[in-house]
Order: sequence, then C-alpha cells, then structure tokens
Amino acid sequence: MVASHVLTGKERGAKIIVIDPREIQMSRLADIYLRPWPGTDVAWLNGIMNVIINEGLADTAFVEERTEGFDELRQVVMEYPPEKVEQIAGIPADGLRAAARMYAQTKPAAILYAMGITQHTTGTDNVKTCANLAMLTGNVGVPGSGVNPLRGQNNVQGACDLGGLPNVYPGYQVVTIPDVKAKYEAAWGVEGMSGKLGLTVTEMIEAADKGDVRAIYVMGENPMLSDPDLNHARHCLEALDFLVVQDIFMTETAALADVVLPGASYLEKDGTFTNTDRRIQRVRKAVEAPGQAKADWEIICDLARAMGAPGFEFASPAAVMEEVVVTTPIYGGVSYDRLEAVEGLQWPVPTADHPGTPYLHKGKFSRGVGKFNPVQYQAAAELPDEEYPLILTTGRMMFHFHTGTMTRRTEKLEQEAPEPYVEIHPDDAQRIGLNGGKRVRVSSRRGAIEVAVRVTSTIRPGVVFIPFHYVEGPANALTHAALDPIAGIPEFKVCAVRVEPV
Amino acid sequence: MIEAIRARVAEKLKELDGVIGLRRSPEGVAPYLFHTEEELAELVLEPRYPMSSVVRLLQKRHPAARFGVVARGCDVRALVEMAKRNQVDPERLYIIGFTCTAEEAEACHCADPAPNVTGWPQAEVIGTPVAAGSPNPMVAEYAQMPRAERWAFWQQQFKKCIKCYGCRNICPVCFCESCALEDPLWVEPGVMAPPFPMYHMIKAMHMSNRCVACRQCELTCPAHIPLTVLYDLIRQDVENLMGYVPGADLEALPPVPLTLADAPIDLDVE
Amino acid sequence: MDYKNVRTTCIYCGCGCTLNVQVADGEVVGILPCPEHPISRGSLCIKGWNAAEFATHPDRLRVPLIRREGGFEEASWEEALALVAERLGAIRDDSGPDSIGFFTSAKCTNEENYLLQKLARAVIKTNNVDHCARL
Ligand code: SF4
Ligand code: SF4
Repeated sequence: MVASHVLTGKERGAKIIVIDPREIQMSRLADIYLRPWPGTDVAWLNGIMNVIINEGLADTAFVEERTEGFDELRQVVMEYPPEKVEQIAGIPADGLRAAARMYAQTKPAAILYAMGITQHTTGTDNVKTCANLAMLTGNVGVPGSGVNPLRGQNNVQGACDLGGLPNVYPGYQVVTIPDVKAKYEAAWGVEGMSGKLGLTVTEMIEAADKGDVRAIYVMGENPMLSDPDLNHARHCLEALDFLVVQDIFMTETAALADVVLPGASYLEKDGTFTNTDRRIQRVRKAVEAPGQAKADWEIICDLARAMGAPGFEFASPAAVMEEVVVTTPIYGGVSYDRLEAVEGLQWPVPTADHPGTPYLHKGKFSRGVGKFNPVQYQAAAELPDEEYPLILTTGRMMFHFHTGTMTRRTEKLEQEAPEPYVEIHPDDAQRIGLNGGKRVRVSSRRGAIEVAVRVTSTIRPGVVFIPFHYVEGPANALTHAALDPIAGIPEFKVCAVRVEPV
Repeated sequence: MIEAIRARVAEKLKELDGVIGLRRSPEGVAPYLFHTEEELAELVLEPRYPMSSVVRLLQKRHPAARFGVVARGCDVRALVEMAKRNQVDPERLYIIGFTCTAEEAEACHCADPAPNVTGWPQAEVIGTPVAAGSPNPMVAEYAQMPRAERWAFWQQQFKKCIKCYGCRNICPVCFCESCALEDPLWVEPGVMAPPFPMYHMIKAMHMSNRCVACRQCELTCPAHIPLTVLYDLIRQDVENLMGYVPGADLEALPPVPLTLADAPIDLDVE
Repeated sequence: MDYKNVRTTCIYCGCGCTLNVQVADGEVVGILPCPEHPISRGSLCIKGWNAAEFATHPDRLRVPLIRREGGFEEASWEEALALVAERLGAIRDDSGPDSIGFFTSAKCTNEENYLLQKLARAVIKTNNVDHCARL
C-alpha cells in the first residue's frame, strides 16, 4: 500500500528511480531503472554523491547550516567516480549520472528501502550511506523527503519500541546506563536487574550450542525457517535443555519444543501494533480463540503468577498500555481512548495533549546537527567463485508472509504460489544446461535444496533469487550466517551458490 | 434526511428481523445489522460499502429471516441484479432507499442518483431526486483515441495491477464461489502483474451485463486503474446494442443467458 | 442473529492497513477494506483481503502440549505453566539468569512484547531479549 502512495505521487508528476538487482513491478513504471550487483550498495550510493558534489548539485545551504563532517564525506566519495562504480556494481556510468541528477534536482525526494539495504554484512554502512545522501541534498525534516525504511513484518517497529531488543528497555532507553536501570527497577519494584547487554537472536542460538544458554522461550517466532544456515540452527536448538514455544500453529520451531503453549491470533485479542511510519494502531478482538488457546499477554501474566512474580496483574491490554506510558517517553501520551481515532497516533507522542509526530528531524536533528558518516565499500562476506559461481539473494513475494505459517494455510494465497522456486536469467539457464528442465538443485557451502525453476530476464545474469517462505525448499538452508558487526543482521541478500539440473 | 431515514428504520424494526445499514461507532463507520431503535443514533449514510453483498451474506445465513436495508441508488441496482441471479431474495428484503446529494452524484459521474425500486415487492424511497452528475470526462477522452493507442493505454494501466482481487471482492454484483480469475486454465497463477489482457478481460466480460456503475472497484483499486472507463464503455455498448441497463428493471432479463438452459442454441450438455 | 464489523490492523506487513473484520454470530465471515483510513484508503493487497482464513484452520493449536517419552501429550494450563515456571527457575538458579533467552515477536502486539521483556528483565533478570527484526 506504500506503493499505492508512490503511484499517487507519480500521478502528480513525481519521478521514480528504482535501483534493484531484480526488475520489480515498480521498475516498469519508473523513470530510471538501474540493476546493481547485490551487495554493492555503498559503492553506487557513494557514486551518486560523487556526481552530485562534482556537478554542484548539493544543497550547500542545508549542508552548512545543519550538518557536520562534509569534508570527510567529500574525501571518501571522491574515490567513487561513476566509471569505477560501474566496475564494482555493474551499473552503467551514464545511468548512475542520470539518477544522481534526477534525485538531486527534484525536491523533495524520498528514499524508500526495505531489507535489500539492511540484510548485508554492511547493512549499517548501507543505511548510513542513504542518510548521507539525503542530508547532502537537504532531504531531511520536510514532508515527502527523508530515508524511509519499509518494515517487512507488521509489528517489527512495535517490538523494537517496546524493548524487544537486548540493548534497550522500551523507548530505546539503554540498559547499560545505571540511571535508566534504576528507573526501571523502581518502576517495576524489583532489585538486581542486569546492567549488561543481552544477546541477539543469532547469538542466543550460537550460545545454545556452547551450552551457555540452556533455555529459550519463544513467543510467536519461527527461527527454524527464518534464520540463516538452518541446519546449524536446528543443531543449536536441539542442544537446549528446555525450549518453550508459544504459537498458534505447530511451527517448525514448536516441533522441537519441550512445552508448546497455544496462543490466540490477532482476531482473538486486543492490543496495538506500530506500523512502519511509527503509527500506533488498535488491534481489536473480533471472535473467541479456539479450544483453550489464550492471548499471549494472558499467557505471560499467568506464567509470571506461576513463578510467584508480582507486577503482572493486568486485566486487559489497555491496562498494560497504562503501565507502558509511564516509563516510555515516546509513548507517553498514548491511551486506548486516543487510539479510537482511525488514524492512530504517530510517536513520539510525549504527552496526552501532544498531537503525535508525522515526520522526524523537523528543523533540527535529534542530535542537533546531522553528522555525515562516510563509509568505504566492502565486498559481501561470501562472493561467487568457481565452485559456487552464482550469487543467491533471498526475499519475499506478494502472496506470502514470512515463514508462511499463516499464508500457506490460506487457500486463496497458496493457490497463487504453492511451491518454492528459483529465478534465474536465461543466459545462466543456458550455460548450466537446464534444457527446459523443471527442477533444479541449488547448493551452497551450507546445504542444498531442490526447487522449481523460473527462467526470467527480470533477474540480473549471475544472480538467482529464492523466496524464503517455503519449508519444503527453505532458502535459509543455503544462506550465510555472516552478520553485520553493529546491527547483527545476517547477510540474507548475498551468498554464493551453484545451480544444477536434476 | 438522516432523521427521516432513522424514523422509518425505527418503524420497520418492529416487524423485521433487523435492518442492514452503516453504523458510526467510536471505531469508525462500517456495515451493521441494526436491531433496536436506540442504536439508530449511530446510523449514517457514508462512506460507501457493498451493501448488496452484506444482504446476500445475511440472507444465506438466515434462510427464513426478513431484513431491511438502507440503500442508495447503486445499492438498489446491485440488489436488482443479485435478485435476478437468485443471490438475494426480494420477498425477504425491505428496501429503504434514499437519494444521493448533487455533490455525490457529481463525484461519481452518476447517471441515476436516485433508487429505482419499481417492481421490488416492498420498498420506499426517501428524499428528492437530484440531477445526474456530468459524465466521466475520461470516457470521452478515451473514445477519441485510435485503436492502437487504446491498447497501449490499457497495457500501461494494467502493468500497475497487483492482483489484489479487490475490484472483484468489493463488487456488489460478484458472487461466484469458484471464479474464472482463479482458474489456472484461464489465468496463470502467481504472475505479477497478472497476464494482460486475460485477467482484466475476463473480469470485464463478466461485468458486461451486470455492472451497475457504483464505482467501488475503482475506489478500492490500490493501483489507481480507471476501471470504470472500461466498464462505462461496455455498459454503453450493451445498452445501445441490446437495450439492457443493469439494475434498471427487476423484470428485464439480462441479454446474456443466466443458465445453460436459457441458451438460445442447442447445447449437448449431459 | 448479529452482524457487525470489528476494526483492526492487518498482520501481514508494516504498512498497517486497517481491516474491517465482518463478524456474524460470533464467526468471522469476511474482510472489508476501510475507506476512512489514511494509509490504506479503502484498498488492501491480496494478503489483507484474505487475512482471516488461517485463524479457523484445523491445524490451530487448541491445548497446551508437553513433550514426554514418545512425543507431545496434551496438558492443562496449570500443569504446563507450572512446568515452565519450575524449569526456568531451576535453570536460572543453576546457571544464572543469562543462561535463559527470550524471543519476543514482530507478529505479537506491543503490549505482549512489553510483558515478555518485562518478564525477562524483571523476573528472570536477563537482557537476553530479542526478536526477528533482522530476519
Ligand atoms: S483492484 Fe486494481 S490492483 Fe487489484 S486486482 Fe483489481 S485492477 Fe488489479
Ligand atoms: S493489506 Fe497488504 S499492504 Fe496492507 S498491511 Fe496487509 S499485507 Fe500490508
């Protein structure tokens, strides 16, 4: 539906530039479409800035007044002239120039991205580079501009906002700051909370293998299909002494559990989700849960009671939200009464009379002035070689959601896309000698799967694509568990594979 | 107007098993089955929802119940077409029709902004009919285009389609359990945008003798495809060539046979 | 003989389209889009239109399950939660709070995410809390 707003923009005369290794539907409507090699984003983004600076297209007033570090940025991006970028990223130099001019000369201009930018060992660098580009052209803090990550799962934003992260409490308050910890100890009426950083999902799974983590409690996630390098992930989860899974279906992960607790679906409970534009919106109970299944919030409260822990005596999700707002400044003004409005509330919404915040960094960055963080291009962790000559990139498709637990149990969705497949360019198909064969074996250093083949020129030669929704052809049996050093995000978008006929 | 409608619904609630209309609750507006007079303070007329589909759904669930419905002109036209196809039972439905405002008629380019309940067993209309809205300028513009350009125009438009099936799902006269759009024989599944022109052509052909020009498909289309330009032209053809206007008359039979038994040719059907 | 629409938020992506869930006599009978909502503006994608079907799938879990010799056995809530409480308590006492990890969920509500991280941090006393944001 974000694309629908992009179309509205186009109807009003906006320009569209699409840069994607796969020719997506939007690229057929774009003014400019460029097709880079996966994993070269820093290089071509630096190249765009190189053109903008050299052709005098930067927003110098904005750069002078509201940013710092421009000289360092200039130094770095000067190393990326379009001809050199063409060598690295495979984007023709002229195309890159045209895109740079169009982006810089059209105001305001928005950058939209999803996991294609983040799921790399250089994910953090990629995001910083997007931010550099937006700041260089003054595209920050004005409606219709900015750097706009589109989040894949419905409540990723909310799960992060509410402290579902190892380094922060709700509202991004850092766990290692003693005052913050003290505030939460007081609010929750407990002592001796941990002041150390916790482990990420991928680290916990790794630690399970070593025996450092002995028990894992999983609420509504399915790492046995969503994590990179699945064979290894299974081995680690099996090493646990105790695994609890709370879910609505017997997922691949639940099948490994010691205890499985039946949760309620979104149709059977109240609550809130926060969408990709920080909009907090209501989830409303429509029907009763089947059998003895219970809402996840009730299960957690019951468990706390079974453990003899006070502080979980909530009558409803509305009551939970009343506690959230006390300690979470960005949600400070949220209440279920205010959320009745169909448009919800966009955080930060610090007080009950604050109207919410449609866009960030208006007039001023959160940190005062914006700092350019120039970065150098680094190749992906695993590149193609003789043995594994193709790049595999993974992703979603319109008809399914994440690990398919729900959508694959929906006839109207499953009939559109019932089986896993690999997209491959006709040139590669010919070289491999597919000869019209319908199935192929795709293997990497970590595993192998057999899937249907779709020969299509919408993919770059040298690159293949597999959607990750399918348990019978799990793309993540192939992917590489190399992580971005800061965000800890795995490199789902690049690994080396071989494709053979079967 | 709304007060007059509420008063009539209150009256009718005494004899019916409920009245279908739009309700504004704190959550917002959506279709609702009203049972009591107290609830009627929340009865509203906007925005648009496919009321005939809700009638069909509730009549099927409750085969003996008698409902009422608060309906605007296009809702009534849709009910008429659904009734001809045995999807709505007129004997068990009381229509409280109301006229659209001049602004609404203009916004919809509506040729017929007042409910036509002629022939419906039990019905009434509240309000004074307003003039028709001006015709959709895009239709005239399109009619000027040479044939090759028309093809290119639709090709470009349908490239944007994301196969949400929304235009079909919202349609107040679509009801088939098994839909040709989902039949792999006709439309290759999983292709995005759906194959041109099959997907949209099938939809258009199936609408040819029943589209009631409510414009809900266009309103729900996330790709902003001007679907009603296509449907308006087909409606014009069907009217000019066969003299049929969908929704205008409960008695008039559609020019395309409704069942194989009606077919004017000998079919060797076992 | 009841029919109403319950307004809620789609679970299938971060756009957060508003859904009108049609409920008749306590049963979900369909989904309608919401013209009043500023993001979805009366539109949905194919997933949103079909976001109710899975909930009544026969595979839904209906009772707590405990693994015993030879596979899962059905259990009461009291039994299942007592077992979880006891095992988590024992592991924490044995190997320390950081030997336990919690996966919160990008598919669950804000309130549920809050509660699970509170359980981890205030009851078990570990910051081993994360979810699949990166996946
Ligand atoms: S509503 Fe629009 S996008 Fe959806 S299927 Fe119909 S034409 Fe395609
Ligand atoms: S309807 Fe489609 S676009 Fe809207 S939130 Fe659901 S999955 Fe996302």
